[in-house]
Amino acid sequence: MRWMLLALGLLGGVSAHASTSEQRGFKVFRQVCSTCHSLDHVAYADLSGLGLTQDQIKEYAAQHQVPDGLDEDGDPKTRVARPTDLIGSPYAGEAMARMANHGSVPPDFSRRAMTQKGGVAWIVRMLQSYAEAPAGRKLPPGSYYNTAMPHGHIGMPQPLHDGQISYEDGTPATTKQMAEDLGAFLEWTARPHLAARHLVGVFVLLYLAGMYVLLLLMKRRVWSRLRQTDASRNF
Amino acid sequence: MTERPTHEAGWLEKRLPIVSVFRREYVDFPMPRNLNSLWSFGAFAMVALGLLVLSGIFLAINYTPTMADAFASIETIDRRVASGWLVRAIHMGGVSMLFATLYVHMGRSLYYGSYKTPRELIWLTGTGLLAMVMITAFAGYILPWGQMSYWGATVVINAVNAVPGIGHPLASWLLGGDGLGDVALHRFYVLHFVTAFSILGVIALHVASIHVSGSNNPTGVDPQGPDDTVPFHPYYTSKDGLGICLFLAVYAVLIFFLPNLLTLSDNYVMANPVVTPKDITPEWYFAPFYAILRAVPSRLGGLVLAAGSIAVLFAVPWLDRSPVRSARYRPLLKIALPVLFFSFFMLGMAGMHAPTAPWLWVSRLCVAYWYAYFLIMLPLLPKIEKTYPVPVALQGQN
Amino acid sequence: MIGGLLSKRETMTSDQPSSPSETEISVVESAPKRRDVLASVTVGLGCAGACALAYPFLDSLNGTRGENAAEDDTIEVDLSAIAPGQQVIVKWRGWPVFVQRRTPDMLAALRAPGLDQRLRDPASTIMQQPKDAANWHRSVVPEIGVYVGICTHLGCVPNYDPPSTADTSGHYACPCHGSQFDAAGRAFKDAPAPYNLPVPPVTMLTPNRVQIGKSKGDPGFDIANIQQI
Repeated sequence: MRWMLLALGLLGGVSAHASTSEQRGFKVFRQVCSTCHSLDHVAYADLSGLGLTQDQIKEYAAQHQVPDGLDEDGDPKTRVARPTDLIGSPYAGEAMARMANHGSVPPDFSRRAMTQKGGVAWIVRMLQSYAEAPAGRKLPPGSYYNTAMPHGHIGMPQPLHDGQISYEDGTPATTKQMAEDLGAFLEWTARPHLAARHLVGVFVLLYLAGMYVLLLLMKRRVWSRLRQTDASRNF
Repeated sequence: MTERPTHEAGWLEKRLPIVSVFRREYVDFPMPRNLNSLWSFGAFAMVALGLLVLSGIFLAINYTPTMADAFASIETIDRRVASGWLVRAIHMGGVSMLFATLYVHMGRSLYYGSYKTPRELIWLTGTGLLAMVMITAFAGYILPWGQMSYWGATVVINAVNAVPGIGHPLASWLLGGDGLGDVALHRFYVLHFVTAFSILGVIALHVASIHVSGSNNPTGVDPQGPDDTVPFHPYYTSKDGLGICLFLAVYAVLIFFLPNLLTLSDNYVMANPVVTPKDITPEWYFAPFYAILRAVPSRLGGLVLAAGSIAVLFAVPWLDRSPVRSARYRPLLKIALPVLFFSFFMLGMAGMHAPTAPWLWVSRLCVAYWYAYFLIMLPLLPKIEKTYPVPVALQGQN
Repeated sequence: MIGGLLSKRETMTSDQPSSPSETEISVVESAPKRRDVLASVTVGLGCAGACALAYPFLDSLNGTRGENAAEDDTIEVDLSAIAPGQQVIVKWRGWPVFVQRRTPDMLAALRAPGLDQRLRDPASTIMQQPKDAANWHRSVVPEIGVYVGICTHLGCVPNYDPPSTADTSGHYACPCHGSQFDAAGRAFKDAPAPYNLPVPPVTMLTPNRVQIGKSKGDPGFDIANIQQI
């Protein structure tokens, strides 16, 4: 029981042990993806689940502005984002996002790992599947050759290039490395409590296993009275 | 004054005899001694429903039933509300566990003839409960306002609309306007609550009628005397407790290690009235009826068949003419009924695949068997069936 | 759920089957002690499980933990529009905050002889303000008063009576239970409010601009630590 309570008490803290791959993936998101892609349902404060400190979160939030009603002249005004604000979209609205991206909105990242067919594995592969279009291949305007796409082209220009960012931990920022790190980050944004979910699950099953043994003994004992009282009966 | 309380504790007893009633109905209540583990599924359903109601109340506290905020409030529950992900997982897992339990519970009833005299009312309230659980599940599935919520609701409301006569006013009462919007979402929220709590009331009737007629048992022969029965406690409390432990283990594996089985990923995309997701599939527990809906190339025909497949269940106690309850002693039913269970399973499979060549024919075959079983076999089998000798007492003759 | 079932089982040792016989009685006699231990461990563990199950439900009532308004937000108020003797109400952290400009008469009234005897805490000894406001005028500069407008009795917003020809002092009266405060938010003795109105952390940026939320004179001040809001 003490273990159970301990495990439940850890619920909040468990996700703090996220691997650094996810933190590196966040850096990729912050420096590359977030110029176009949104995180509509993740708050700055949620990033503590990745192991970011309060100061890091405040520093990240402080670089963004969020709408803050109207000023004295009735014009929309903004304020510096707080940790409790949602990270949201880099664009002020859907129409603006469309205009900047050849008419389509860059998909939101909040649950992308779940909603993308093929999941994170596909996203990681797609990010490494850019190539020169074969000779004679005509691509629609505003699209790029990508072998992972069903029709061989994608609206997003190649986002990752070797050495584009530098990791604090010294990991070489190859395209492959960045794609995999971003995959880990997307996995976390889609299932932020997965580690806690598994841990609690293990404790619940251990508990139920213990209860099962006890209840089995109880049940056997109770029913054995009956068998002894009329052992002659074919029951 | 005709009666005096026998002892001091009689104060409550005299005014509200809950203690003695509880003792009579749940401690000393005589149960057939030969029930197998399939009889525990009623208890499992109670556990699942209890967890659903409990988690539902705590989810409702954090949920906002508006188009603008419903999806975001679910995301907040899943991401930020303390233990919110766990409460929601219990709720989502509970639905699947409840439906699975109910299907087994009903299958057991069909196999051992638990619907026959004098237990018709137990079967009727039980089938009514299934229908209510379905309505509750449907209304609840709309609440997260994801793509599957929206399009599932759209399809069902259009189906209701297609019913001649009452369909149009019924859909209008549900929607409160023309579109699937804020007003409709709020109504589904209320409907979800009202039916959920009504279920608790009908369960009381369901259980009360069991306590009038007593439980059926695998032989289908009523207990003949005190030797054939054991008190509910400790015999069936210990047996059900053990079963519940296993039931909870399955439940836990589902919500902690296989949560993706419980949800369609498209429902994590917010409802978008101008884009229908590519593969619309219902939750697994609706899949058999969804397959029936699509089995015939006619909108009204599919609706009638799907609704009829549940409606026919209500008539089962009067369709089955055999005086023998348990399929153990009915050689033909012993074959015909497992085939019905298999058809139901195959309908579920068909419901989760596109209605094209192989699956379309599978669902047509299975729905034909479904109706044939209830409307032809149940009334006519007794005429040709030579039943095995039925024991006089529960334990057989010694 | 399990707990409920198990608690019934607690009485199991005393429960005899409906038809006792000789064999059965010998079973009971042979192992009464083991039975007790097993039953109580099962019941205990079952109850513990039920309590653990209650944890996520009760925990969810905490809502979005750590997401309260208690963030270091500051607002700035332009004082030029406030006439002497008048106040404006601004919102800071969701609370109404009174910002008043005092007339010389009001200041004089704050130091009127005999007033202190009628006040509960005339010298602001109770922690209801930053250090730089623990003075006779309960503000950073005498002319400007800033108070959280929540009555310390039961939380209503007191009404401001601006100075008039009959009474030049200006004071607050709570509509709910008649609590009285002077212009510096000090509670009167013959009324129910137990503490002075709280003073938020305030910094004078310019003589006509005040910042609420940060205190230059008492940087360590946290509004969460005061006696009562």
